[in-house]
Amino acid sequence: MTQGVSARQGTFERKSESPIREKARGGRGTAPPVRKAGGSGGLAGRILYWTGGTVISAIFVLPLVWETIRSFQPELVVTQAPSSKTFANLSLSNYQALLSGQDDIIRNVVNSLIVAVAAALLTALVATLAGYGFALFRFRGSGAVFGLVLVAFMIPFQAVLTPLFIEMHKLHLLNSLLGLALFYTTFNLPVGVYVMRNSFLQVPRELVDAARVDGASVMTTLVSVFRPLIMPGIATTALYAFLFSWTEFVGALSFLTNDSLFTLPVALSNVETGTYGAVNYGLLLAGAVIAMVPCIVVYVGLQRYYVRGLVSGALKG
Amino acid sequence: MLISPALLFVTAFALFPLGFGVYISLTNWPLVGAYHFIGLANYDALIHNTEFIQSIVFTLEYTGIVTVPIFVVGYALAVFVRSNRRGSTLFRTMIFLPYIVGLVAESYMAVVELQPQSGTANFVLSNLGIVGDTTAWLVHTGLALTAISVLVVWFAAGLTMMLLMAGMQGIPQEIYESARVDGASWWSIEWRLTVPLLRKSIALSLIISVIGSFLAFNQFFIMTDGGPGTSTVPVVMSIFQTAFAQLNVGLASAMSVVLVIVVGLITFVQFRYLQGDSES
Repeated sequence: MTQGVSARQGTFERKSESPIREKARGGRGTAPPVRKAGGSGGLAGRILYWTGGTVISAIFVLPLVWETIRSFQPELVVTQAPSSKTFANLSLSNYQALLSGQDDIIRNVVNSLIVAVAAALLTALVATLAGYGFALFRFRGSGAVFGLVLVAFMIPFQAVLTPLFIEMHKLHLLNSLLGLALFYTTFNLPVGVYVMRNSFLQVPRELVDAARVDGASVMTTLVSVFRPLIMPGIATTALYAFLFSWTEFVGALSFLTNDSLFTLPVALSNVETGTYGAVNYGLLLAGAVIAMVPCIVVYVGLQRYYVRGLVSGALKG
Repeated sequence: MLISPALLFVTAFALFPLGFGVYISLTNWPLVGAYHFIGLANYDALIHNTEFIQSIVFTLEYTGIVTVPIFVVGYALAVFVRSNRRGSTLFRTMIFLPYIVGLVAESYMAVVELQPQSGTANFVLSNLGIVGDTTAWLVHTGLALTAISVLVVWFAAGLTMMLLMAGMQGIPQEIYESARVDGASWWSIEWRLTVPLLRKSIALSLIISVIGSFLAFNQFFIMTDGGPGTSTVPVVMSIFQTAFAQLNVGLASAMSVVLVIVVGLITFVQFRYLQGDSES
């Protein structure tokens, strides 16, 4: 049964290889155009294409830009009926309040960073080792182990929160940023192992054999021969895990009960609930923008890798 | 061994909890003190638990509402960005941005903008004459579900776009040549060639979106907290409340087992479907 799953996975992934690899190699311009959208040449066609593209993009980006502007409006402006008179009344007051004083969320931002960076590094490390093992070494039962890992990967983490809560309580991993990072690492491994296995499979076989002939140890080969070739895969994996962990909510909500350990998304639910019954919507907007900015910066900077990981991870199922 | 760390993680935080969850679901697990087996009593209680049934019905309803719009919008976007014309990479990046930012931050923003009087949603919609500016979106079941569905389609369409686009770009060009020579219309090429060849990507994007909807939590927790009453409680929130508010760990575990089975079935169907595709 498990063998069957892994065999299926094998055919499946070879087939789905080409678009991913094409995207990964050049990013843009490598895949043949399926069809020239909106009428190929022609000035009219081009104007239509750019106008359409701008309008469509605006639908997706403008709300985020709008909220960013709104986050600079003082609380009073945010909670009043919108008016052109007060709209441009921008100030740093929300951010000042969030980053100092009693509603300080710096600590929560730091918690989020610690957890997301730790999960990203751990996922990259563990997935690289596993990908290396699955790609280059055939051992007894390796198909079964890969099958087992795949089956495990299909468990939605939302569905094991309750038993995991009890288990982590016993292991003293509740209210622990380390515990949360271990949890995130586990559920980022599916994408990670898959991406890293593919990365290793793309390394030319001659290179592997040459290293073996030279008598290099397994780990020396990994570090000296493979490292430059698998860096894009590692970047994909780390980035994917970082974004997942930075934005994750229900796990953090379940496993952290101590305010000072809250990650940013959970801390914002406190802001949303408000203190003494009064909700400060200016603070909430500024907090949401602080949660948003790292995602955009990281994604825009490294999107080539991210899309690759996402597509191959998704193809894994 | 190279694989053992991964195996350790998966065993400790996925496989073991799953088995442990099944075990707990057969007991009356209390917070302190001894527990004993009660057989399938939790499952029996589940069948008569109106709140859980209601949350399943609601989750199905929500999934039914958002799946088709996410797919249709995502497909149209994929058609638009799939060529490698100048600018298409830029458009892709921008359309995908809501997905990257994540539903949590966006739900908080939506809460602010859906407030009556002060929110941007009512400001825009009342000026267009669609709703009054005192519409309280998040305190009426229908309105809240509408607002959340619009938010989710906006959030998730970019992911469907990316998956379908990758599939479209994997279709060899030559396949289209003869159809064009035959003078087939754009619609018939799309419908008769692209869609069948894209079956795998279509199945994949639909399944990812359906599972995502099944496991929805964030937007409901943040925007309605399940309200008004319990009318917008999805399954994961129902489990969350049963475990962490009502402290009924056994029952919550039974709910989780049901959820794993449902999601497992969807994944199984996906595998079957994809396998059939790669053999043909």
